[in-house]
Amino acid sequence: MTNKDGRIVVAGLTKRYGTLKAVDDLSFTVEPGTITGFLGPNGAGKTTTLRMLLGLISPDAGTATISGHPYPALPAPNEEVGAVLEASGFHPARSGRNHLRIYCTVNGHPPERADHVLALVGLADAGRRPVRGYSLGMRQRLALATALLGDPRVLILDEPANGLDPEGISWLRRLLRALADEGRTVLVSSHVLSEVQQLVDQVVILHHGRLVRQGTLAELADRQTWVSVQTPQADQLLAALARSGGDRAQIQRPGPGQLRITGLAAAEVGRLALTERVELHELTTEHSDLEQAFLALTADADQQPVPVLKEAS
Amino acid sequence: MRRLIAAEFHKLATTRLWLWLLLGSVALTALYASLAIAFGDTPDNPTPPLASPAGQRTVFSVGQGAGTLLAVLAAIGLTGEFRHQTATTTFLATPNRSRVVLAKLITYALVGVGYSLVCIAVTIAIALPWLNAKGIRVPLTGNGIPATLAGVVAAVTIFGLIGVGLGALVREQVATVVGLLVYLFIAEPIVTRIPALSSWTIYLPGAAASALTQVAQANQTFLPPGRGGLVLAAYGLLLAAAGILLTIRRDIT
Repeated sequence: MTNKDGRIVVAGLTKRYGTLKAVDDLSFTVEPGTITGFLGPNGAGKTTTLRMLLGLISPDAGTATISGHPYPALPAPNEEVGAVLEASGFHPARSGRNHLRIYCTVNGHPPERADHVLALVGLADAGRRPVRGYSLGMRQRLALATALLGDPRVLILDEPANGLDPEGISWLRRLLRALADEGRTVLVSSHVLSEVQQLVDQVVILHHGRLVRQGTLAELADRQTWVSVQTPQADQLLAALARSGGDRAQIQRPGPGQLRITGLAAAEVGRLALTERVELHELTTEHSDLEQAFLALTADADQQPVPVLKEAS
Repeated sequence: MRRLIAAEFHKLATTRLWLWLLLGSVALTALYASLAIAFGDTPDNPTPPLASPAGQRTVFSVGQGAGTLLAVLAAIGLTGEFRHQTATTTFLATPNRSRVVLAKLITYALVGVGYSLVCIAVTIAIALPWLNAKGIRVPLTGNGIPATLAGVVAAVTIFGLIGVGLGALVREQVATVVGLLVYLFIAEPIVTRIPALSSWTIYLPGAAASALTQVAQANQTFLPPGRGGLVLAAYGLLLAAAGILLTIRRDIT
């Protein structure tokens, strides 16, 4: 074991389609033992990046390695990496079990391995039925079973929660957590943060093919708080804040009679209003949530910020 | 490579298409053999008399018709990976893509041997008793018939390479299959009957296969069998090589 084992390193990866840069000088690292969310809106370049990482699409520039090697150069790729991409299909007339047994043959696993992974993903009873009768969730499970055939050290899953019901998502969460706890690397893409926020430790956020944030979920949630005030005497309070708040307070006026004050606690604002005899109709502490932080990072410049939901303080 | 070929056979065996196309090939062979014998000695028939070695070779060449449906099977085997999006899983399992295409080429060549042997058996089962009843004794080991039968096996096998190679070039399943059927059943039979073009059309794949199996027809010229075989093999190998190269170069999306 070297320290490169199970690590995904993407460096300067670029892919152009005509004049569009689908992936633009993208670099990030994914460490073993963690579940990393690979996030971005549809069209951000997630699938293209994963396909370049897996040697299915050739990049115009940059490199992507898993355990120190480009995927096609791995000595036993299926024992190192298991991947489920969005377009991982099945022949409709073939049973799930036969689908798995074909890849057992390709990879030199005993055929019993197919039954083992079918049981692991909860498809033991459906294994002998043709795939055409499978629900989207069952197909997701079968794709995951295919990825798990080689007992891989690295799992790469493109939108795995698509088509899973809440129970399925909770099952997926437990399975991936168990796999990560065994020291495996898990990279999970999604265009919906809320789908994976219970699941991931780390996030890599992509927008227009560029990296906009890499870090822990906690860092992303580094919450911005402010005090929201509703008052008929907004000008008076504003003047008072300007006198006493000094440089600390940053004040916005989102609407008539409304102030949004950053840098002061609600208690300080309330005390000031009392001494200045300003009538207050509302005084609340608000903060952005994770979803908002994600949306703010991936919003286009011409889009309006999403309205803030209030939370009682 | 042995595992990849075994997997390709496993893929074939887990769907029914191979069986339907084999039955189709058997039906075509039976039909062509029956027509060749029933009308072989009618006055206007362009084929040599059934009593002649050339006429008998023409009867025993009909199994080459299996090549068209085998090419279809092979093309579906390759393009199906893209149509059903199993290509992603297949090329993840075997990142060296040339090995995947090579395994398919070998698999469908072997299936071609099987198809052609079945169709040869059908030809013999129909032709021997029928010709016997007409008072024509056919020596299966003489009159050039062994060479014709070997030519049938070779031609059908090469059509397997053509199907895989063409499928890898085109990737789109319906276009590949329709193209193959229209070309081999309609387009080529029409152009090869235009005398002014015959110096060109003798090099077309269907005509080359007929040359290899020693079909004789008064209204059509053919290459000598050996050169026909070389021309057909060249089509198979060129398409196979092009299919491998393009599969390596193109992105799998």
